[in-house]
Amino acid sequence: MKVQLFATCLVDSLFPEVGEAVVEVLAKAGVEVWFPKGQTCCGQPALNAGMRAEARTLALHTLEALEAEDVVVVPSGSCSEMIRHRYPELLADEPGQLKRARRLADRTYEFSEFLVDQLLVADFGAALPLVIGYHPSCHLLRGLGVDRQPLRLLEGIAGASTERLSPECCGFGGMFSIEMPEISAEMLERTLDRIRSSGIELVAGCDVSCLMQIEGGLRRAGSSVRCAHLAQLLAGREAGLK
Amino acid sequence: MTLAFRQRARQAIADPQLQRLLDQNADVRQQARMEALEELPQSGELRGRARSIRQQVVAEIGAYLDQFGARLAENGIQAQRAANAAEANRLILDIVQKHKAKLVAKSKSMLTEEIGLNAALEAAGIRPVETDLGEYVVQLRAEKPAHILTPALHLSTQDVAETFRRQLGASLGDDVDQINAEARRQLREVFLTAPVGITGVNFGVAETGTLCLVTNEGNGRMVATLPPVHIAVMGIERLVPTLDDLAVMLRLLPRFATGQAITSYVSLIHAPRRAGDPEGPTERHLILVDNGRSELASTAAAESLLCIRCGACLNACPIFREAGGHAYDSVYSGPIGAVLSPGLFGLEKYGHLGKASTLCGACTEACPVGIDIPGLLLNVRAEVEPKPLGRGLRLFSWVARSPTRFRWAQRTAALGGRLLARRAGWITQLPGPFAEWTHFRDFPPFASRPLRSRLRRARRPAKDRLPELEPEEAAPAAAQDAGEPDDRTDRFEAKLKALGGEVIRCAEFEAADRIVGQLYVLGASRLLSWGPVEPILFTVLQRLEREGFPVVQPEVPEGAGGTRPIRAFGEFPVGLTGAVAGLADTGSLILSGGSRRSLLPSLLPETHLAVVRSKDIYADLEGWLRAVGSPYVAGSSNLVLISGPSRTADIEMTLTMGVHGPRQLIVFLIE
Repeated sequence: MKVQLFATCLVDSLFPEVGEAVVEVLAKAGVEVWFPKGQTCCGQPALNAGMRAEARTLALHTLEALEAEDVVVVPSGSCSEMIRHRYPELLADEPGQLKRARRLADRTYEFSEFLVDQLLVADFGAALPLVIGYHPSCHLLRGLGVDRQPLRLLEGIAGASTERLSPECCGFGGMFSIEMPEISAEMLERTLDRIRSSGIELVAGCDVSCLMQIEGGLRRAGSSVRCAHLAQLLAGREAGLK
Repeated sequence: MTLAFRQRARQAIADPQLQRLLDQNADVRQQARMEALEELPQSGELRGRARSIRQQVVAEIGAYLDQFGARLAENGIQAQRAANAAEANRLILDIVQKHKAKLVAKSKSMLTEEIGLNAALEAAGIRPVETDLGEYVVQLRAEKPAHILTPALHLSTQDVAETFRRQLGASLGDDVDQINAEARRQLREVFLTAPVGITGVNFGVAETGTLCLVTNEGNGRMVATLPPVHIAVMGIERLVPTLDDLAVMLRLLPRFATGQAITSYVSLIHAPRRAGDPEGPTERHLILVDNGRSELASTAAAESLLCIRCGACLNACPIFREAGGHAYDSVYSGPIGAVLSPGLFGLEKYGHLGKASTLCGACTEACPVGIDIPGLLLNVRAEVEPKPLGRGLRLFSWVARSPTRFRWAQRTAALGGRLLARRAGWITQLPGPFAEWTHFRDFPPFASRPLRSRLRRARRPAKDRLPELEPEEAAPAAAQDAGEPDDRTDRFEAKLKALGGEVIRCAEFEAADRIVGQLYVLGASRLLSWGPVEPILFTVLQRLEREGFPVVQPEVPEGAGGTRPIRAFGEFPVGLTGAVAGLADTGSLILSGGSRRSLLPSLLPETHLAVVRSKDIYADLEGWLRAVGSPYVAGSSNLVLISGPSRTADIEMTLTMGVHGPRQLIVFLIE
């Protein structure tokens, strides 16, 4: 089986280590992975800013970039949700494009969802003797209904004990983090409190955007706790996002 | 430009007491909602039904309004449409002035806040008194409600006590019970003397012309029962097609609002006082307010009109939890407020509220009718010109349309990042608008080699196979719901007790003895009672007469103005009534009004004694409506569901019984 990796702009530009781990894990799971060169950003930042025209343009660009018939795997709940739910909405009035968008939506999976529900694998032989806090990111949990899959994958890590953190928004919210920084910071602080109060040694998640917010906060607070994308843990790495 | 919302949120964040109260609100309400839903195994299906009921209404609002209007006219409720706030206020003022009222008793209505009714009344020399405890406090302080359900959410017990001491000259301590007692005393006087009562409406039923009022304190019942004129004010979209549909909404509204299976009181108001009714307003008016709703119904934001004002999205929203209701500067705050305010009151003032969200979806998850609030917020954002960030995003989108430009931008950013980062660490100070990020957290440097440069070739799959999951493990089947025992009487008793009611089971032959005995146990000196409309009440009344125990069966003379004779019924310690039915799933009693079935014994005294027969206990409201109930709704000008004593948690979420209605409810369950 061949899959195309839609890495997301954040993983591509800021956290290539996460992308490498995703490739490694998928290969371990028995699939061939390739990186479509035309990919950039799914357009969610534009859509979230209310800029539909720009979001539509980037949606069309992404449709083009992921035109191959292979399954698309995305290491982000948020960007998966964009492709699966918002592309068909954005292109609802353009029958030809809508058809393409629906076809793409149907073959696009978030990373953990793809492993557990499609490939039926969860035990990668990783070992990590740590208390791991799993942060259920909003679009993954509420947008895609993906929750048990990442938890099952974490269960497969020998020596790790996993705690699911309360499903409250970390306060990232894209531009929100810059336009409403005080509220964003308060929400982050509540997330950090939950991490501190439960003796968590490593925060795992499926969205680097939230993890970037959380690790940014942990670092600023002088904490030694780090974040990691689920793929990094399955690949046996523990050093943090980068 | 700093957004107005952001500025006010900053102040809220800097206020530790407000933060404590907001945290408390979120924690208590969310917990309660989740527990209530655990007890409602079919909630998913009910929410689907509720959503389609509301969609049906909003899609054909004109037709439903016509049907509703025709029924109202048949029932004798005088309905008028108001296109906007000014017109609504004028219509209401006309009625109030026609009756020469100088005092108006009001029960909580966000719609009257929306149209600014109190200011309009005051300008005409009329004194409106809010009678919901939280709203009363807010009115005394000349503030705005901080939450659609809990107006005094932002105030501590000390704040409220201080307000009462200052504004009312009351001598009381910082104690919720003392505050409630003082409010009861002050407002009882208003209920008994105001010539006009104004309420909102939770739902109107199109097929029957029924007005449904959902309250906990009992003030809504008071205001709709005691003054000789009742004016109800309702948004045109708050309709449901049928009584069955109403039953669906009633199962969801209180559970999502406060985690209650049902509120203490649900009134189904059908008509003004009819011949034979012992009391009730001789005039009932309904003002149907549009104020931007029809226009909204024809836009993409029509979905926001599905809202039933339960407040669940406010309680679930992490932004509301930090910023509080006042930060939205609108009668409708929280996620739904960020959609409704620009939709109803204009983008110019409220468009920026679209940004008051991370689009986390907690609101939609909490919404009983599944409104896609994040989607609607995106629409609001799309209508507002996003500057200056918009310019940046437009540039970013241009860059991202070309992989070559994108790669170039990555290189530039990586170079910039290396200049900003201290050694290999994260960046602690970003330039320009991005400084807002690094005020509170570090930012990762851009990778010097992005992923696209690292993945030039496809990665071949590994040879070894991993252990495969069993399909069940990959997608476990949904857990089966445990069956519930179908003993209606037992469930009725258990539910009612859980609500703070008392249940005395007895046989028919001993019932009268037990009731009379209870009067002596309570130390009652007199009784306000229904007439001898059924055998047990007949026997009780006969016994009491023989024993010379003072009993009054209230009958308010019609059209009485001035010093209202209803006052004479205000001082009775105990009331006695029958009930047409009981509901097992909520522990509710259903009381119909009508001749010799006064509503006052279940409303005014401190203790309410009620008789219900086990054969009249139905599984739920739908079951009762289907079996026998619908004619009772039409046959009674004011039918009420009573579920436990009157209650409030308006002050710091502290539950207190008996704020306006009875403090104690004792049900004699006849087997």
